[in-house]
Amino acid sequence: MKSKQYSVKVFETTITDEKKFIEFFDTNYALFKDHLILIQGTLSKDIRAYLEKKSLSFLHNQTVPVGRPRKALETELNIQKIENDVNQQIAKEEIKKLSTRLQNNLTVLDRIIRSGQELDIEGDLLLLNRVNSGATIHTTGNLIITQVVEGALRCDGNFMMITASPKANIIFHSVEVDNNLLANKLNRVELKKNQILITPVIKKEINWAL
Amino acid sequence: MGIVIAVISGKGGVGKTTATANLGLGIAMNEKNCIVVDFDIGQRNLDMILGLENRVVYDLVQVMDGDAKLKQATIKSKVNEKLHFLAASQSKDKTVLESKKVEKLVAELRESYDYVILDSPAGIESGFEHTIEFADAAIIVVNPEVSSIRDADRAIGILDSKSQKVKNGEEVAKYLIINRISADMVQSGEMLKSEDILNILNIKLLGKVPEDRGVIDASNQGKPVILNKKSHAGQAYTRIAGRLCGQKVDMKDIEISDTGLFKKLKGMFI
Repeated sequence: MKSKQYSVKVFETTITDEKKFIEFFDTNYALFKDHLILIQGTLSKDIRAYLEKKSLSFLHNQTVPVGRPRKALETELNIQKIENDVNQQIAKEEIKKLSTRLQNNLTVLDRIIRSGQELDIEGDLLLLNRVNSGATIHTTGNLIITQVVEGALRCDGNFMMITASPKANIIFHSVEVDNNLLANKLNRVELKKNQILITPVIKKEINWAL
Repeated sequence: MGIVIAVISGKGGVGKTTATANLGLGIAMNEKNCIVVDFDIGQRNLDMILGLENRVVYDLVQVMDGDAKLKQATIKSKVNEKLHFLAASQSKDKTVLESKKVEKLVAELRESYDYVILDSPAGIESGFEHTIEFADAAIIVVNPEVSSIRDADRAIGILDSKSQKVKNGEEVAKYLIINRISADMVQSGEMLKSEDILNILNIKLLGKVPEDRGVIDASNQGKPVILNKKSHAGQAYTRIAGRLCGQKVDMKDIEISDTGLFKKLKGMFI
């Protein structure tokens, strides 16, 4: 199939006074000969004859598609995109709300996480052993470690329970947790109203001098 | 059927080869048939420490490739006839090792000797992986310093995932030797304590070896330090070899300095 695409200039009008119309067209003929004339409403024989005589192309009582400028198109696309993003965000938040109530995918491990080992855990993790220097753990859910951590932790869950770990590198919701704040024997790190709260669960033991 | 022990460390220069030579000799002194195998292909050193560098004719790679028989390649030690040695190739590199050939060689050694000690190369590359692949047990040598311990930790991690025994659902026995402990430095808190090291690595302690000036000279002369009955390091290796041969030898606390003022005074009067 062979086809061509044009963008055409259209002059649309409704005729009320034929005399004035013909006068207007006579004076502006140079302009209108390149236009497609669109007549809405009544079209008398005289006018038809006039238009044909002047060899102007015209349509009567027709609707033509109206193109939009590029800018309008772009804004419309943008609006669609934003709506999509907002919908996704809402869906994510709904899932998050759900996961606070559910015990999601709990993994329980009792082995040393040694240097060079990387754990990437979808859901919650309960680790009953050490995390040595050079090891990395990432959880999407909550994280509880009952022994000393010397490696790196990345937790995106609702809370973490960490022992006093001066050598660890802990990142909770992409915020680095100050190791000095984890001084107690067991510390809870949680996210409440966009703030990271650190509270002692088991207080530091006091070593009396012998 | 003998036991195959790999001596590993992760970091280089902590005393793997020295430990291998001394433990091999120590086991042989306990009347056990023992062979030490240098797996550090391309950088063999064990022959020099054992004082056998002039007697190497065939090497490990030639045995694995079938160019020489195991009996032709093994060298009997001058010092103890129970101790045997299989040298690494000096001209090739670690890439010549293949799992199947290593397995065959290890199986053959296991048949003929009571103790097979494999001296692993430093690092965690293919050479290391082949050394640990078919071992029943591993001796991890560390120095009391953080870099050595982190590397050892990494090596243990690989041992726990790549060993054939682990793949079969069994466990590889892991023992720790802490080498080059300086009592003064531990006392003054400059050096890590053994308890801390054991806490981090969480494996059984096989023995502690003190820093000893005699070790370097012994290595240079090709006479392992265990032959020197007066040397502290030699005594430590004797104890460790005894433990490996099933004797119950008490752990000596070498971290307490013998050169304290009180002892010196005591020595003056008594």
